[in-house]
Amino acid sequence: MHPAEASTPLASSTARPLLSKPPLPSRLLRRSLALALALSLPLAAAQSGRESTLVLGGDFSDLITLDPGVSYEFTGSLLAGNLYDTLVAYEGNDLTKVRPRLATSWTVTPTASGSRLTFKLRAAKFSTGRPVTAADVVYSLNRVIQLKTPSSFLLTDVANLKVGSVTAPDAKTVVMDIPKTANPNIVLALLTFNVAGVVDAAEAKAHEQSGDYGTAWLKDHSAGSGPFLLNRWDRSAQVALDVNPSAWRKSPNIKRVILRYMLESAVQQSALNSGEIDVAWDYTPDAFKTALKNPKLKGLKTGTFQLQYLGMNSGKGAAFEDPRVREAVRYAIDQDGIIKSLLQGLGRKTQTIIPIGLAGANTALPYSYDPAKAKALLAAAGKSNLSVDFSIPTGSCAGGVPCQDLAAKIQSDLAKVGIKANIKQMVSADLYTMYRAQKAELIMAPWSPDYADADGNGTPLADFNAKSLAWRNVWQNDAASKLAQSAAIENDPAKRLGLYKQLTELVAKDGPFAILYQPYKPVVISASVVGFGRNANGDVRFEKISKK
Amino acid sequence: MTTTLPVSRRSDNAALRKLRRNSGAMLGFVLLLLLLLAALFGPLFLGNPGAQDLAARLSPPSAAHWLGTDQLGRDVLTRVLSGARISLGLGVSVMLASLITGSLIGLLAGLLSGWWDEGLMRLTDIFLAFPSLILAMAISAALGPNLTNVMIAVALVSWPTYARLIRAQVLALREREFVEAARALGSSQGRVALRHLLPNSLAPLLVQGSFDVGSAILTAAGLGFIGFGAQPPTPEWGAMVSETRNYIAQAPWASSAPAVAILLTVLAFNLIGDGLRDVFDPRGR
Amino acid sequence: MLIYILRRLALMVFVLWGVTLAAFLISHALPADPAAAALGNNAREAQLQEFRVRNGLDKSLPVQYGVYMGRLLTGDLGTSLRTQNSITADLKQFFPATLELTLGAVVFAVLIGLPLGILAALQHGKALDLLARIFALLGGATPVYWLAILALNVFHERLGWLPGPGRLDAYSLAPPVHSGLMTVDAVLARDPQVLVDGLRHLILPGLVLGAFSAALLTRMTRSALLEVLSQDYIRTARAKGLKGSRVIWRHALKNAALPLLTVFGSLFGSLLTGAVLTETIFSWPGIGSYATTSAISLDFPAVMGVTLVAGLAYSLVNLIVDLAYASFDPRISFS
Repeated sequence: MHPAEASTPLASSTARPLLSKPPLPSRLLRRSLALALALSLPLAAAQSGRESTLVLGGDFSDLITLDPGVSYEFTGSLLAGNLYDTLVAYEGNDLTKVRPRLATSWTVTPTASGSRLTFKLRAAKFSTGRPVTAADVVYSLNRVIQLKTPSSFLLTDVANLKVGSVTAPDAKTVVMDIPKTANPNIVLALLTFNVAGVVDAAEAKAHEQSGDYGTAWLKDHSAGSGPFLLNRWDRSAQVALDVNPSAWRKSPNIKRVILRYMLESAVQQSALNSGEIDVAWDYTPDAFKTALKNPKLKGLKTGTFQLQYLGMNSGKGAAFEDPRVREAVRYAIDQDGIIKSLLQGLGRKTQTIIPIGLAGANTALPYSYDPAKAKALLAAAGKSNLSVDFSIPTGSCAGGVPCQDLAAKIQSDLAKVGIKANIKQMVSADLYTMYRAQKAELIMAPWSPDYADADGNGTPLADFNAKSLAWRNVWQNDAASKLAQSAAIENDPAKRLGLYKQLTELVAKDGPFAILYQPYKPVVISASVVGFGRNANGDVRFEKISKK
Repeated sequence: MTTTLPVSRRSDNAALRKLRRNSGAMLGFVLLLLLLLAALFGPLFLGNPGAQDLAARLSPPSAAHWLGTDQLGRDVLTRVLSGARISLGLGVSVMLASLITGSLIGLLAGLLSGWWDEGLMRLTDIFLAFPSLILAMAISAALGPNLTNVMIAVALVSWPTYARLIRAQVLALREREFVEAARALGSSQGRVALRHLLPNSLAPLLVQGSFDVGSAILTAAGLGFIGFGAQPPTPEWGAMVSETRNYIAQAPWASSAPAVAILLTVLAFNLIGDGLRDVFDPRGR
Repeated sequence: MLIYILRRLALMVFVLWGVTLAAFLISHALPADPAAAALGNNAREAQLQEFRVRNGLDKSLPVQYGVYMGRLLTGDLGTSLRTQNSITADLKQFFPATLELTLGAVVFAVLIGLPLGILAALQHGKALDLLARIFALLGGATPVYWLAILALNVFHERLGWLPGPGRLDAYSLAPPVHSGLMTVDAVLARDPQVLVDGLRHLILPGLVLGAFSAALLTRMTRSALLEVLSQDYIRTARAKGLKGSRVIWRHALKNAALPLLTVFGSLFGSLLTGAVLTETIFSWPGIGSYATTSAISLDFPAVMGVTLVAGLAYSLVNLIVDLAYASFDPRISFS
């Protein structure tokens, strides 16, 4: 425990010599001292639960619902993973292999129309005290399919599930039939997500309002079998989880988890240094580096499957129509400089569209930083003086670096080869509206695959017909579309790798992207916190944590 | 604030003499003069405010970088000095734009009276009741973020003060003898307005205007915080504070320098405004 | 008097209607798609269309506005696009926090601004006048978010005198919600610990939000007092040999209270809406941070709700101030 935590604020402020403080106008000092004296009362009782309470500070403003079937935001997923169980899950940082969770075992068998997945359930109880049955699993999946939630396309479009695809022959067995167009491995990967979280059907039905499958109630209540249950969500202030006494994943040390909303990174730094929070979610790379030197703090950098990239509009008459201009941009970007200084190493250098860590990734680095070559390519394309609008998001980019700083660096890199990029910061709503309408000239954006499989990037980034990133950048390449489509459903691992090698090489050479880096997610925790782990999907298992 | 000021009818010389004796105003003018000199001549001695040097990023003040460098290794002093033109220009142009717009609307309302007055003043009320930062945010978002649009957005939220002020002046002056006399002598409404009302309203406008230069810079800084401000790499002070706030623990100099520049500017204009008010208000002595 | 109030109320309704219209027009002038904003970057086209139909975004603008106004007449501010919550319920939840913060800021503004203004007026033209004014200005002359971050850095992190962001310590759970004002609810729950904790959490954001108003109040107090002090009856009182301080307290301040009331009204009105940035930094769950989150995600029904409530608060406070003004000063008649 920090010395400052054990003592009252009054004691800690008078114990230190005044002279060592930063210089302040003495009048202000005296006034503040008087105020502090007036209101500095011991808060001993309030601190009694410190060792069993974990406090996280972060920008959790993306949280709009705790319903596992509806939530498709980072914070919602983080919480749903601790409130609910899925059939299968990833353990630790290994996202290549799904492991048992509610299902103790499963089999995949080919059928005439596709494949059949059969799951055997373990004995588990919901926080309501009811046992978890196969009927609850069927209900939970069907409700997502029928609700058409922001994440339901994962079940309907990717896994090709319909109402009736999932059945419960007995209380402990779940059977799932998928057609040939769905890859069973991708389906298993999808089932690790909160969209497939299992809710207590009886509880949800009891709170159903006008056919909403209990979504209004589950927005700020929980009815799952995870290690925690929702105590209370004070919106824009904090979320409080309490330990679920009937859970099979026991939390021996942490009895309460509090997520405190703190939008500003600088504020999180203050709160972590003062001991007010145990974990800070949004550190800038430079603050992360400073934290690593502080013996009271620990820095964790976890890999992600995100890519931070530049998208270049390649449509007819657009600035980047000529592939040589796109290549020039890739030669002009000082990737090493970005990663080494702006990101302080919180990113990996990569130049192809499948993230490192997924089967199918291509770690080749065909582009060196070469402004002269970029200039030559631009001259050959007749675009020696190019001026483009450079649209960027507000706030932080992947890896925690403020987007405006990253953009200013890229702007100066591009200026060196004769491309004038006029930065336009936009809130993400504005930015993506424009991007979706194919109206972005040059855009900087992050991309996260919807599921941990090469196809999570392959189809959206390479297949124009998928109406995703390739489409938004107006890059239509039939060979790439074909490769992406056949790789997605290829069941032979070796053949699949071969297809992805061809695809990544093609897109790296001709595509509309300049990949900037694959980020690490920095998390800074107090040295007193033990057992904290965060995987590439952003999952944290609170029940494994303890505080000294 | 729409306090109506009594109008000075003393000669300009007397007012100037009083102003010169006002220590606050003089301090304000000296500060402003220094800022203007920095804005005019500073950039002549310094390099490119956008020049990056990632190897020297976030370095503390030194002989090479008197005020240190920022997160992209840009020289903070160079940026603050080149930002002086932009930020002072922003403050003054926003003030002038809202002063002119507001005055015209207030003048029209006061002179035309009746339904016109009612309509224009209700429009003013609507703008006053609208949360200003949200309005500025929306305007800036609709127009697209850049320095010019920031100025338009801030001007659009600050004109109503002037409209109220001028209308109150017009109503007060309409009743005064010398205007009555001018009208009796056959001057038309418009000429009465121009010849008598505007010059007589100049003092309160000057006072309000000098306060508003500072608040325009602060509002622009607020817009920058949400991402609707001047765009990188423009060294506008508000944008600089907002961009460097993420590094406040690692490089306090980078955000303090533009913040102090803003503080000095706001201080200068407020002291001048206070001084003008002291001088032009015949009762306040 | 009654006619005056009715007239003012009618005008207020008109102004608020104007505010809704302006807010509606501006939010639809934005070149962004609220469906995409609500459903995120990876949403499929079919989902977007379904969302538009469900929220009535597929209808023409006049129809949408008509639907909105129709609902508004029944007190229904509509549904947030981002969270699908009732906006009326949202505002009920978030408004008290802002009210509490604003009251705190007004207290600080008065505690700082009034004495400094009086000091400046009494020392008119002397060094203390200037010093008092400069000191009052310092807080309000920098970008408020910078001041807020700096204040947290110094008074919370380094000195440890004051708590960090939020309305309460993370380890003390909030009392049951009755009024939504943390201090009042703490008193109702008879929980002195939470009361003290809540008050402590009010200090930094209250000071930061109040700083700008303190400077304004200093200036207005000073000039109002100067004006009164120069008037004949005060001079007479002074000439009659009344002691300086009694003159000030008895006569001058009483008369200076009127213009101050005006300042106070507009101050309170602008504080409520000016809390946007302060609330964002201090993680204060009020309508200011609600407005920011909603505006950034183009949740325009929510933004219109906030705008309307802020406009209503502003208009009401000004009406009350005008009424108070008139009842203080017999020379003013209602017309």
